[in-house]
Amino acid sequence: MNKTLAVIRRELVARVRTRAFLISTLILPILMVFVAVVPALMMRGGSRTMQIAMVDGTGDSLGSRIESALAGEKLSRDPGAPTRYALHRFVAAGRVAVLRDSLVALTGVSREQHPQSFDGVLVVTDSTIATGKVDYLGTNTSSFESMGQLEGTISKVLVQMRLAHSGLDPAIVASAIRPINLNATKVSDGKATGQSGVQSFAIAYFMAFLLYLSVVLYGQQTMTSVIEEKTSRIMEVLASSMRPFQMLLGKVLGVGLTGLLQMTIWGGTYYLVTSQRGRLAGLFGLSADAMQSLPIPAMPTDLLVVFLVYFMLGFLLFGALYAAIGSICNTIQETQQYAVAVTMVLMLGFFSVFAVMKDPTGGLGVTLSFVPFFSQLVMPVRWSLAAVSPIELAGSLAIGIATLLGTTWLAGRIYRTGILMYGKKPTFGEVFRWIRQG
Amino acid sequence: MNPAAVRVDQVTKRFAGHTAVKSLSFEVPAGGIFGLLGPNGAGKSTTIRMMMDIIEPDEGKVVLFGLEKSPRDISERLGYLPEERGLYKKMKVLEHLAFLGEVKGLGVADAKRRAGQWLERLGLQDWAQKKVEDLSKGMQQKVQFAGTLLHDPDLVILDEPFSGLDPVNAQMMKDIVVEIAKSGRTVLFSTHIMEQAEKMCDRIVIIARGEKVVDGSVSQVKAEFGGNHIALGFTHDKENAARILADRRLVATLDDYGASAELELAAGASPDALLGALVREGVGLNRFEVVEPSLQSIFIAKVGNAAVVPAITEAA
Repeated sequence: MNKTLAVIRRELVARVRTRAFLISTLILPILMVFVAVVPALMMRGGSRTMQIAMVDGTGDSLGSRIESALAGEKLSRDPGAPTRYALHRFVAAGRVAVLRDSLVALTGVSREQHPQSFDGVLVVTDSTIATGKVDYLGTNTSSFESMGQLEGTISKVLVQMRLAHSGLDPAIVASAIRPINLNATKVSDGKATGQSGVQSFAIAYFMAFLLYLSVVLYGQQTMTSVIEEKTSRIMEVLASSMRPFQMLLGKVLGVGLTGLLQMTIWGGTYYLVTSQRGRLAGLFGLSADAMQSLPIPAMPTDLLVVFLVYFMLGFLLFGALYAAIGSICNTIQETQQYAVAVTMVLMLGFFSVFAVMKDPTGGLGVTLSFVPFFSQLVMPVRWSLAAVSPIELAGSLAIGIATLLGTTWLAGRIYRTGILMYGKKPTFGEVFRWIRQG
Repeated sequence: MNPAAVRVDQVTKRFAGHTAVKSLSFEVPAGGIFGLLGPNGAGKSTTIRMMMDIIEPDEGKVVLFGLEKSPRDISERLGYLPEERGLYKKMKVLEHLAFLGEVKGLGVADAKRRAGQWLERLGLQDWAQKKVEDLSKGMQQKVQFAGTLLHDPDLVILDEPFSGLDPVNAQMMKDIVVEIAKSGRTVLFSTHIMEQAEKMCDRIVIIARGEKVVDGSVSQVKAEFGGNHIALGFTHDKENAARILADRRLVATLDDYGASAELELAAGASPDALLGALVREGVGLNRFEVVEPSLQSIFIAKVGNAAVVPAITEAA
């Protein structure tokens, strides 16, 4: 047992110390914080009250209607939220261009230079009703969101005005143009989770991709490392000191723990970034409110655990297979022919995830979450998308662990003979014979 | 009496196409230095690998310390240096050495302490935190040698331990091997360099084509081989000696090294007759000595030149 531990420790230390591991482990969390914080930082401009000067060149009530409509806009849905616009209406009385230019001169200048400065100038004229043309000259014209909101509010007023002009009851108009708002919420195990459907899908996709990629990468690392031991001939020293199964176990667990460490750091950062938005916001001097619009969805604790458990299950299963392949080959090139078969199975699992995402409670999804070599990808995805009963999870895990034991036993038999074979690559028939020999 | 450190009992190993070892039997007594000699391809490494249970014999068995146990279960008592050397290139030297001790059952702290001591002994203490790949080939060999001995094994099995070493390092390793034997432990090493075996070994086994040819203590082997052996050293006019040395009535076998030669007298010929003939021809001599047969000449006589020539070419 101590010998296996020595091998595990060696594999772990040798891997964790490499620059590649350090960089890849750190870069994703940094990216996550970046993705979480930067949009909020950039949107900060859009989430404060805008000082808008309005040049009112209209003869009728359009200008004042727009003013009151804009004044009613709040920064968030919270009733106590500050207003989105602070509007200053200037009646043009025929001198639209002159007034506009003098106001533009005060736009975008710093408060220190001039106490009264604006973020933008809105120009509404008599022809606006007919042409729908409204000029806006401002500092934030490149913000799609700000422009969209401004346009939306003004066009609502225009539509109301036009309909009222054609003789419709303003009350009917108001109720007719109220937009629908589909509020989709995911339900899991009889409880609403507060996640939207789109968010669940994003998590599921991200997870499946990460699981697939990491099992392939870490699995192939196991294979490469067996080849390295064979070419460097250290294998013979190891083989004379411990049983091949101890070597296999130590190697697969050592590489697996390296992967688990990385996945835990990644998953953990994701979990923290999404669950501790408020604190993260504070760290960057943002309001907690701004971070609510975070583009990445939160990861529930149970999902994090399921994700890590299935990563380990999947890696050990495929890692043992990759190690066995490494043992029967002498060079990386030779491994390709066998490795392709294993990688194909993994890829098939990855593609099946898309079908499962479409209908996570359907027959295919339910079946595949019990099928070995598929379940380690399908189950976490289903768990994130639909309500899965604990009994189903236990069943899937039990089958997964049984398969793992069987595969490891099989891999151990191949490994035992393979590691000390040099020269000619064995045929499938020979490998089969190694497995049968007791 | 202590059981033999190694007992090889009627062992046969076949590989596809040929038999590497043919019903080989010998015993390595506990304590002392034992030489397993033979030309390349004789089956030395195969025999050693069967001792370590890296390959299984098709027939017969190998028993270590008189115990019916797999070497893996008593690996703390065994040190094994394979013929093909190799280390993890990216590992730090000290950690690697400690790891080699750990897989033999040493505790983490103990392994690290011993690794440090060995590096100091080998003059490699400044390299402890360097990566293995930064070491020269000779240094790597020394590290691996230390890794074999880190856990103070009772039986040390070294496959061609001196090949590829410069004279200084070879001397250092020889001293270590002798010291192990002095402390009452057993060293078995294989080699095809007879001079080395002759100087170091208490007992030897010579195998050729998988079969045992010679077995016994070095003095016993020499006594049994018998014959009158003469060592010659030439100073000048060596060409004049050619006819005499080719005379089958005087010389039975000749091992000519150029500036020196070793020969076995023909039955009935006396050393005086040979010396007289050489002096008459005016051959300049700085050495004329009746000697015990060297292991080299016994080896050649027993194994045959045919088996040795390709071996030497390969070794070079």
